[in-house]
Amino acid sequence: MSGLLTVLEKMHAARTGYARPLRRFRHHHLVDEPLVIVPLKLAGEAAAPLGCAVGTDPDEPVLLTVPQPRNRDLQHAFFTDLAHVVLGYVAARQGETEEVVPRGGEPRLRYADAPQILVPNRPALDHLGLTGRLTRFQETEDDVPLLGRWLTFFADRAEYPGSSLALALTDLLTAQWATGQSDLEDANLAMLLAWICPPEGTTGAAAAQVAENPLDFPPAGPATDPDFDGLVLQPAVQGYDRAVDAGDPVAAARAEAKVREAVTSQLMPTWRLMWKGLRRLRELPEAAGCEQRWAADRDRFTRHVDRIAEGGPPQPRHDHAVAAAARLATLERAQSRFEAQQAVDDPFVLAELRTTGEAFGGTVVAGEPDRTEVTAKGRTVLRPRLTVRTEDPVRVDDDQAYVCPDRPKQNVRIREIAEDESGCLLVLDVVSGMGTVKKPVPIPEPGETVRYTRVPPQWGGQDFPAPEETPWTHGGPPPGSEEPQGAEQ
Amino acid sequence: MDSLNTRLAALRGGTSPVGFSARTIAGLNENPGCARRALLDASGADKDRIGARVGFPGRFGQSPFALARGRVFEEQIKANGAAQLLRLLREKLGLTIEEAAYLPLEDVGDNTGRELRARHTTAQLLRAAREGDDAGTLFDHPMLRLRVAGCTAYLEPDLVAFQVGGRFHVVEIKSFAVIDGQVDGEQVTAAARQAAVYVLALRELLADHGLDPETVSHEVLLVTPADFTNRPVVSLIDVRKQLAAVRRVLARMSRVETLLDALPEGVSFDLAPDDDGDPTRDPAELAAALHQIPARYRPGCRAHCELAAFCRDEARCADSLDVFGPAVGGMLGGVDTVCAALGLAEGTRAPAEDEAEIARALRHAETLRSGLG
Amino acid sequence: MQDDLEALEDRIARLRRSVRAAMRRRDSARVKELRAELRRVERAWDELADALERDERQQPSAPEPARPPGPLVPAREHVHQVLTLLGVPAAPKLIGAVHRAFFPGELPASRLASLRRDEERSFRSSPGARPYYLCPALTSDLLAPARGLVTVSSWPLEHRIIGPLSPRVDFLRAAVAVADAAQRGLHETPDTERLLRSFAVSIPGATPRGTGPIDPGLLTRAAEAEIAVHLDADRQARAAAADRARRRLDETERLFGTKLRAIPGKTAQG
Repeated sequence: MSGLLTVLEKMHAARTGYARPLRRFRHHHLVDEPLVIVPLKLAGEAAAPLGCAVGTDPDEPVLLTVPQPRNRDLQHAFFTDLAHVVLGYVAARQGETEEVVPRGGEPRLRYADAPQILVPNRPALDHLGLTGRLTRFQETEDDVPLLGRWLTFFADRAEYPGSSLALALTDLLTAQWATGQSDLEDANLAMLLAWICPPEGTTGAAAAQVAENPLDFPPAGPATDPDFDGLVLQPAVQGYDRAVDAGDPVAAARAEAKVREAVTSQLMPTWRLMWKGLRRLRELPEAAGCEQRWAADRDRFTRHVDRIAEGGPPQPRHDHAVAAAARLATLERAQSRFEAQQAVDDPFVLAELRTTGEAFGGTVVAGEPDRTEVTAKGRTVLRPRLTVRTEDPVRVDDDQAYVCPDRPKQNVRIREIAEDESGCLLVLDVVSGMGTVKKPVPIPEPGETVRYTRVPPQWGGQDFPAPEETPWTHGGPPPGSEEPQGAEQ
Repeated sequence: MDSLNTRLAALRGGTSPVGFSARTIAGLNENPGCARRALLDASGADKDRIGARVGFPGRFGQSPFALARGRVFEEQIKANGAAQLLRLLREKLGLTIEEAAYLPLEDVGDNTGRELRARHTTAQLLRAAREGDDAGTLFDHPMLRLRVAGCTAYLEPDLVAFQVGGRFHVVEIKSFAVIDGQVDGEQVTAAARQAAVYVLALRELLADHGLDPETVSHEVLLVTPADFTNRPVVSLIDVRKQLAAVRRVLARMSRVETLLDALPEGVSFDLAPDDDGDPTRDPAELAAALHQIPARYRPGCRAHCELAAFCRDEARCADSLDVFGPAVGGMLGGVDTVCAALGLAEGTRAPAEDEAEIARALRHAETLRSGLG
Repeated sequence: MQDDLEALEDRIARLRRSVRAAMRRRDSARVKELRAELRRVERAWDELADALERDERQQPSAPEPARPPGPLVPAREHVHQVLTLLGVPAAPKLIGAVHRAFFPGELPASRLASLRRDEERSFRSSPGARPYYLCPALTSDLLAPARGLVTVSSWPLEHRIIGPLSPRVDFLRAAVAVADAAQRGLHETPDTERLLRSFAVSIPGATPRGTGPIDPGLLTRAAEAEIAVHLDADRQARAAAADRARRRLDETERLFGTKLRAIPGKTAQG
């Protein structure tokens, strides 16, 4: 969302030196026990792990480091350790189940809980995806290929608008607050959080300047600071290589500890920022739509668990062109649904849409609550009509139904629009939720202030099949086999 | 031209000039409208040290791990007469078996002087272009020259291949991975821009000697490791767009005189180095000199310009909308400070004639905002 | 003693910070000073930590590596062995790979780098005192040392000169030599197959269909087929350059190359 309202808030943030709220509610569900992962990789390599801090307890991260990140055996040892933590966390979400009975569908079970992975930023999510790609095809007997399938699952869901299974903290924070700096600077977790929760006694603007220094605030990764690489990490890794070459286990253990210490020094500041940001986000009330979206996430999770239990193959290497196009279309639909839901749930979001004409508000100037129409079949039906004066730059879309968040069951359509010098008059027909001629439901009365936004598209329709549900021998789903998405009611 | 060079040298002062590389020439395409950078670059001023001197050190180091990875991969591709590259060219581009000659051009005897190498390269490439047969198929590390703002820039492509379809092809060897056919778009763009600079230099070399510049293909060969291995793959990249951009920016650099004319008397970026090469110029004075030339700051500058932090601070102090990035400026078309925009929104500032529309939109947004409480 | 160690650690952390801060300021003199200090403190830490750990483990300092020591052959003889097997000029990397594939013992890469200088110095101080010298290949145009290619002084001049096609021809010849050594079963190691494959993948028709191991016979035939294509042109270029070298260069130069005195006429124009 980047309309004029956001721009105004950014300017107010710049003027006051403090971040400004962009939402009244938080639109992503946050679980009580998320798994926080701060991954670091070796510069110049696609996905060679350098280390990570991972865990559910802010005071006790599991710290994993690789003394020579180019060594495949050491990489594998790292993935084994990471698998232990991630798979243990995922397994612990598979306790209670609940039965879901969709209208006109087969009842099914779904887990009452689901995993939630939190990483610092978008590149960290991409890195998890690459790590998943690197490990899920490995032909080892241990848990590493399974780790790969789960990481791929999470990275995949992270692209799905509205899903909360894997999230980047910078995304959550920038959705919630406007800062007085650019998007590029907002991508720096330390600078972003500095605006949002500056230390006592300083402004966010001043704190952000301090936070730009990589000495005090190491980059949140996955790339490390080049100066750190040259001055600290490289000598430590070389020391390890020398000790191993010399066959000296004492020296090797010590060198390994040195690398570990160096990498930890880059991980811990970000680890602490993660929990600080999380605490701040938890203070915000959760939007009404979260519950339904989280239920859909739990459905996805349940299906992936089943998929693995049934011995299904790992997700394919890449989407087949047709599958990729379908996936893109689904993501777009999900995006527009998520936006529309947020506008219904959150007055800030609705106001932002009014600046672009996708939503509107104003005062009712006339109403015909008893108005009726005769349908093509000759039946007389209630079609109340109201006229609203608005100053919003309304974009008229005949096919679009609108809803007022205060009357969620009543939908209207724009019938006519007439402009005059002080704004414009909108003639709206109530097309659902108006009751019947005998039992009419009240509509807004003249003098009342109303707001309308697009009706969110219904759940259902066609959702894209997750890659793991696409037989990779086919590179895509066989024709006509699109999975019915009862899951997402 | 000489008077131009004298004026540019005066601007730089007693510091030795910083030469252009393909990367920095390609970087000129980023934000080409910035007069401050154009003048500093044209004069060969050391922006890195100037930035540090005025209190805004940039961060342009590359990780030694990334550098080492790049070096090792290039060595691997070129080992044994570039055996791996030859295989790729044969398989993917139908290079014939006869075409297997390999000429290392990274030194001339034991001499590695740039000018000598450039002359040696020229002789070898011209011979290949004129004689065709077995005059060399792979030219490893040729040294090319290009005129930039009246100075000679020395450029060193990874490799130039000849007789792939009867044309010269620039080969760029990069160590970023192509995974499942997917690759980081930004890195490819950067490689394409850099390669376009080499194509241009090669074409000028041929044209200068009365040969057809089109003998140099606008398709460059990008060699990268595949997936998570060291196995190389080659992709063809069309750099016509980048070539046009490089030409435009070089033309602009040659018009740097108009920027010089607009400069007040006595402005200089001299660092006044002492005997040890440490700068002695008064930082405040140096900063004042920089402020004399208009900049066009964008947040993206920090990826390619050493002065970005200085310019950002300037934009902040000036209350400029530039600190938010070009998108915000674009939305508020014409309004250029935070103060002016908020003034219009709150109705404390009367809109100028061309601001009427944006002023109305801002007031509307501000009303909505205050309605939220 | 543990306290001392921690004090040193604090100091190291502080110093690293200062170095990075100085680097950001571009204060090179200070960086140098601090780095030297940092190295000193790190060494002190190493020594102290070493003493502590070895005390704890109650064992005398660990004996050197447990891997089987190769016969005590000087590095230059290792290199000579490999080059004799290959029969063509080779880069240190290839020499190392062939050594690992066929010979026991270690050949540290660092030793290869210093060999060339040592050999030339030894030859100049008493020419001909050794039965052979390891010397650089010579470029066919300038008769100057070719970067990174090592040869044996006893080889004919033509074999030590590199023309435009020679890198390819020599690569193919090396493939034949390696395939031959593998067929003779000369001390095979796990690295042998890897070496054969690295040749085979870059030679048309040298890899067997399917996923089986490399067939040395197939590799030889494929390499020889391509050699036949380049052989005449390569031989001519090398012979012409060798003639020039015999006419113009003294004995030392014929082994170690000429320093660039003047660029041959036409190269100088540009």
